[in-house]
Amino acid sequence: MNFARRLVVPPWAWSFLFAALVLLGIFATTHTVGTGTIGLALSLAPYLVMVGSGQMLVISAGPGNIDVSVPQVISLSGFVAVSVTSGTGSITLGLLAAAGTGLAVAAISVIAIAFIKIPPIVATLASGLIASSFTLTFANGFDAEPSSALSEFLRLRLAGIPVIAIMTAAFSVLLAVALHRTVAGRWLLAAGQNGRAAELAGVPTAWVTASTYFASGLLSGLAGALLATYIAPTADLGTTYQLDSIAVVVIGGTLISGGRAVPAGVWGGALFFILLDSFLNLIGWNLAGQNILKGLLVLAVLFLAGGTAGVRRGARRAAAPTTEQLDIQPAADARR
Amino acid sequence: MTSPTLERALPERLAPGDRDRLKRQVPAGVTLLAFIAMLVVCGAIQPVIFSATGLNLVLSSIVPLVIASLAQMVMMSIGDIDLGIGSFVGLVTAVSATTLSGTPLIGVLILLALIAGYGVLGALVHLRRVPALIATLGASFVWYGLALFVLPTPGGTAPDWLLAFAAWTPSAFPAPVLPILVITAAIWAVLQLTPVGARVRALGSNAAVLERSGRSALRTRIITYVIVGVLAVLAGLSLSSQIGGGDPTSANDYTLISVAAVILGGGSFFGGRAVAWGSMVGAVTLGLVSVLLSLLNLSSNVQPAVEGGIVIAALAGRLLVGKVLR
Repeated sequence: MNFARRLVVPPWAWSFLFAALVLLGIFATTHTVGTGTIGLALSLAPYLVMVGSGQMLVISAGPGNIDVSVPQVISLSGFVAVSVTSGTGSITLGLLAAAGTGLAVAAISVIAIAFIKIPPIVATLASGLIASSFTLTFANGFDAEPSSALSEFLRLRLAGIPVIAIMTAAFSVLLAVALHRTVAGRWLLAAGQNGRAAELAGVPTAWVTASTYFASGLLSGLAGALLATYIAPTADLGTTYQLDSIAVVVIGGTLISGGRAVPAGVWGGALFFILLDSFLNLIGWNLAGQNILKGLLVLAVLFLAGGTAGVRRGARRAAAPTTEQLDIQPAADARR
Repeated sequence: MTSPTLERALPERLAPGDRDRLKRQVPAGVTLLAFIAMLVVCGAIQPVIFSATGLNLVLSSIVPLVIASLAQMVMMSIGDIDLGIGSFVGLVTAVSATTLSGTPLIGVLILLALIAGYGVLGALVHLRRVPALIATLGASFVWYGLALFVLPTPGGTAPDWLLAFAAWTPSAFPAPVLPILVITAAIWAVLQLTPVGARVRALGSNAAVLERSGRSALRTRIITYVIVGVLAVLAGLSLSSQIGGGDPTSANDYTLISVAAVILGGGSFFGGRAVAWGSMVGAVTLGLVSVLLSLLNLSSNVQPAVEGGIVIAALAGRLLVGKVLR
């Protein structure tokens, strides 16, 4: 039955269904079917989609892989981008510096994971802590202004749709194609499904895993630069992205155990979260109620969809009875 | 239930050889060295910290983190991980600063309900076969929301008995040592000496054997989550006594720092490992960082980087020691 359900409904459909339900709720409350709500959601979603896509790639690399340095990378690269752009007058240099910041933090994570064999959640925690020291130092008396040209670009709309959303959507399409049609994408999914088998088949799993962390650092860095320009560079710019980036990936149908990446689902999850926030604000719920409902919805999605993952998990359990409990584990090589 | 002979046979079957047992303690030993090194550096700069009052000052702020790390250790001993513990501890401080000091009976009932909530979460994780990582992450939104509901802005007052406990300074020994050692020893005893502890460890190291020996994995997971909930409540009460009130976000750092403490103390993501004293030393070491930095007159901005550096360095040291032993 589970198998049949998986065949009929694509994994990303649920997140869009939830987002659509919330949108209907907004329309019902305001008694108008406006494009304003959608436009606003689309101008906020790209940043969460960028960060979520990076997180999705990391999670897809297999059990135990997760990037918890995301919020610190966002905050730090926001400061770096704004100060480089205001110092040199070049937006390109600012974005490059932000990307470099993300890659540098990712490099610390990768070294810790690959060479010191530190479990990813602890390795990325450590690199994130190191990044946050730089952020705190930056934040003291920071007075550079974000580039107004870039800020205007981020607010630019084509036929009511933010250009940045169109660009991010194009990126998501490219990412989906790359995951399913290129060798590198196939490698990633193979490594995520069964690291040992992939390695025996000649997949350079260590390289594949490392590159997902670099991709996550790069995307978080760029998102941080844009976010700092769109809002303002602050030390806690990325804080909410810690939980949100993981939650939207899971709601979007990406398997937490790795091996199945769903770029479209990240959009569904991000739109769901952002629309939910504006809906709850609209009907006057305070932050407390918003968080409680958000958490219960994540749990509901998770526990209801539990059966979907059951197909794979069940198969895994039959092969090796003990692995079922190990939802998080360092790279598969430690089990040999 | 099950026959007493089986109950007794189980820990024996799981007992590792002496060599394995030694190896299990090695990682915590490396962390202990790091801890001693930090203590020596602190003492060299400021000898006063080796007095009872000095240690009292240094250690008092670390107590809640130690208890939270022990909770995380219990969770990780079954191969699960709790990404909601920071928010949960924050929620407990909020309850402590409002209901518990206003209407103690209702406060206690709320705390018991929260512990039961942990048990339900464990049951759902088990029955729906979902990763604990994501379930506890989702729960963290709920804990944070509930905390904001109880206490929208930081404040309130902790109950008198908690404040009295925080103010207690015996001259014979530093007061924070007592809760740290008592709770660590209690968790060690529960996990290593009782049948329940044997089942918890069995769930982490070999769930199939646990089930085949007639024990319910579901019940064991629920018991484990309840133990985690109880410890997290104790951590929250301890934190509330430190800050004198409640703050929903006061313990956000605990989530990941407690994971690091457990790993530093010799725990693993595989489950089946529970080194209570190691997790305690790991937590105290990470907690000492801020003390060391203020003694060295370094900006508190550097604190996160030093914490991160210590985690990486201690684990690199463990890798080296492990290679030498092999």
